[in-house]
Amino acid sequence: MFGSCKALHPRLRVIRVGVFTLTLCTVAATTTSAGEPAPDLRAGAAAYTQSCARCHGATGRGDGLDAKRFYPRPRNLALGVYKFRSTASGTPPTDADLFRTITQGLPGTNMPDWPHLGEETRWQLVDYLKSLSPAFAQTAPVPVAVTSDPGPAHVKLSEGRALYEKLGCAACHGSAGRANGTSATGLMDDWGMPIRSADLTQGWSYRGGSDPRSVMLRILTGIDGAGMPSYAEAMTPQEAWPLAYYVASLQESVHWNMIAHPLRVQGALPTTPEDFRWAQAERTDVRLRNVVTPEGEWASPPTVKAVSFEAIDNGEAVAFRFSWDDPSQDREPPDAFALLLKPSGTQGDVVTLQAWPYTGAPALDLCRWSADTGKASETIAASFDGATGRAALTSTASYADGRWRLVLQRPRHPADPAGAATIVGDGYTSIAFAVWDGGNVRARAVSPWVEIALREKLRRHKP
Amino acid sequence: MTRSQRSSPIIVMVLVAIGCGGGKPQEAAATTQESGPSAPAQAAQATAAAPPAARHGTATVRGTVHLSGTPPAQEKIKMDADPICQQQHATPVYSEEVVANATGALQNVFVYVKAGAAGPFPTPASPVTLEQQGCWYHPHVFGIQVDQPLAIVNSDATLHNINAKPTANQPFNVAQPVKGMKTTKKFAKPEVMVKFKCNVHPWMNAYAGVVDNPFFSVTGADGAFAITGLPAGTYVIEAWQEKYGVQSQTVSVADGDTKSIDFTLKSP
Repeated sequence: MFGSCKALHPRLRVIRVGVFTLTLCTVAATTTSAGEPAPDLRAGAAAYTQSCARCHGATGRGDGLDAKRFYPRPRNLALGVYKFRSTASGTPPTDADLFRTITQGLPGTNMPDWPHLGEETRWQLVDYLKSLSPAFAQTAPVPVAVTSDPGPAHVKLSEGRALYEKLGCAACHGSAGRANGTSATGLMDDWGMPIRSADLTQGWSYRGGSDPRSVMLRILTGIDGAGMPSYAEAMTPQEAWPLAYYVASLQESVHWNMIAHPLRVQGALPTTPEDFRWAQAERTDVRLRNVVTPEGEWASPPTVKAVSFEAIDNGEAVAFRFSWDDPSQDREPPDAFALLLKPSGTQGDVVTLQAWPYTGAPALDLCRWSADTGKASETIAASFDGATGRAALTSTASYADGRWRLVLQRPRHPADPAGAATIVGDGYTSIAFAVWDGGNVRARAVSPWVEIALREKLRRHKP
Repeated sequence: MTRSQRSSPIIVMVLVAIGCGGGKPQEAAATTQESGPSAPAQAAQATAAAPPAARHGTATVRGTVHLSGTPPAQEKIKMDADPICQQQHATPVYSEEVVANATGALQNVFVYVKAGAAGPFPTPASPVTLEQQGCWYHPHVFGIQVDQPLAIVNSDATLHNINAKPTANQPFNVAQPVKGMKTTKKFAKPEVMVKFKCNVHPWMNAYAGVVDNPFFSVTGADGAFAITGLPAGTYVIEAWQEKYGVQSQTVSVADGDTKSIDFTLKSP
């Protein structure tokens, strides 16, 4: 059939609907491609060696130089098991599925996008990948039945919500989608590696794409090798759309700013996470990296992957509201959070927290809150361990359905501890975060440095 | 299907109803949705031409599987992560990895004719049922013939997923979120054993011995098995146990014979 379809037109789409197999021959106007190149395994192998082997290994077994440090691990291409497909569970992906993954990469993993390789090279890679596993010769891809996108105006999110509950999505993903379902812990993939279910509020971490169509395909095809099963037999293709739109609606809009601007208020700063003024402040999101353990990151899959915060200042002090998803509320060992600043006169000494603390590392200004005491304090210390604070800070924290919210107030010029950082009024002050999940103690997550810029200078220049 | 799916903006769509079936090897397990919510219409695959007449005989091989050494303590299963599972068990539930009685007789050992059976044998049309009830697979170990339907049923009011991990056959991982759902699968090649697991309830696992003959048995609580209807001949009989692996013996039977062979697996 492939030959005959190609003979009709080079651009085809095959969709199975019920007992019928329909071929939709489509013409794409904007693509400049002359169509798929003839397979050239030698060129594919050369491109593979240059671009892929470092992670996926010389023979594709997922055992490249960097493989052990990665979470999730690079795919063992020799097994022919692919997570992101448009095909039934247990069948290989289509060529287009592989092309898409190479072209767009897998967000939230170390698999980058490769558009710069050129279309022809990417197709050669597709053919080469298929040559690495007998799965492609043994089994043909079986596309799942899909229906056309009804569009956001024609789906009822309430129907999607009802399906989310009925189909048991919350068992792993949690009722609010924060990866805190009762079955979310202890999940293993088919290669025996610990894995976590996706936090559906973090659209940027959806490996296979966060748009409703991609979500719909993940629901119907499952994610082979991971725990996500196929729902193709549990629902109709039509039902998948409201559910996909509902899941997509759980995604929160994020602002990956490198510079955060606190909101200036007069008088008392907010002390609770519920204060109405937080809604008026600018939201800044910061990705976290897990500190690599000797076993590698995969030994403890990250649970806390991002922090979002707002800041409000009144000229004397700054209040921060930090929010982060953590699937479990833990007191022993405790969930904890640290706001880090650079002590006076040490700008630039610590480039990245991923390496800190190291032997002879400079001290940092550590404002640490811990769930066991429910209190925060500030100290200057050269390590996270044993950093008992001297100066108490005002803090309030709440935990609900997989999310911590912490309000932390800090004076701009603390008198104590000695050497504490000043949050400057004109210019930038570097801050960074470290987060501990007591339920996942080996996975400390740290952020890069971001800047906060108070608006004093701006105001002064105003007439 | 073709790589030209890469093009995104579709200007013209022409529907051409042609059968895009063959052209590539296809071993996708036939799947039919027999119940469950609003199942999509799906054509059951036509069964192959009837195979030659069964070559059943009158001999029997029976025996018992024992464990030498002390069996490990059965792990107590914690189901508190899912209240719907927990509520269905008034008494503690224990792992079925090693189930031995006071005399060391081993339950759940799959005993089958590994070699010597001259097929092909007809494929039974009646399905083998694998039930999920009380967040537990029933049975834990079972035999099934190549291409015989396997009906997987969810009798629990909670989400199960059936994650089958064969290596010779096509794997699958399907969700059964609703009580009463039934999924039917087939395995196209012999494979001893195919493991099933549920990611939602990680304590759940089951094993299927997929064989190309009807001569198999699973030991009961008394460790006994019986393989009946064997034609006269010489057979390699293999016993498989989840923890202790496989052991085999060769036995010859004449018509009408009943021969006893016992297996003793060793606890390290």
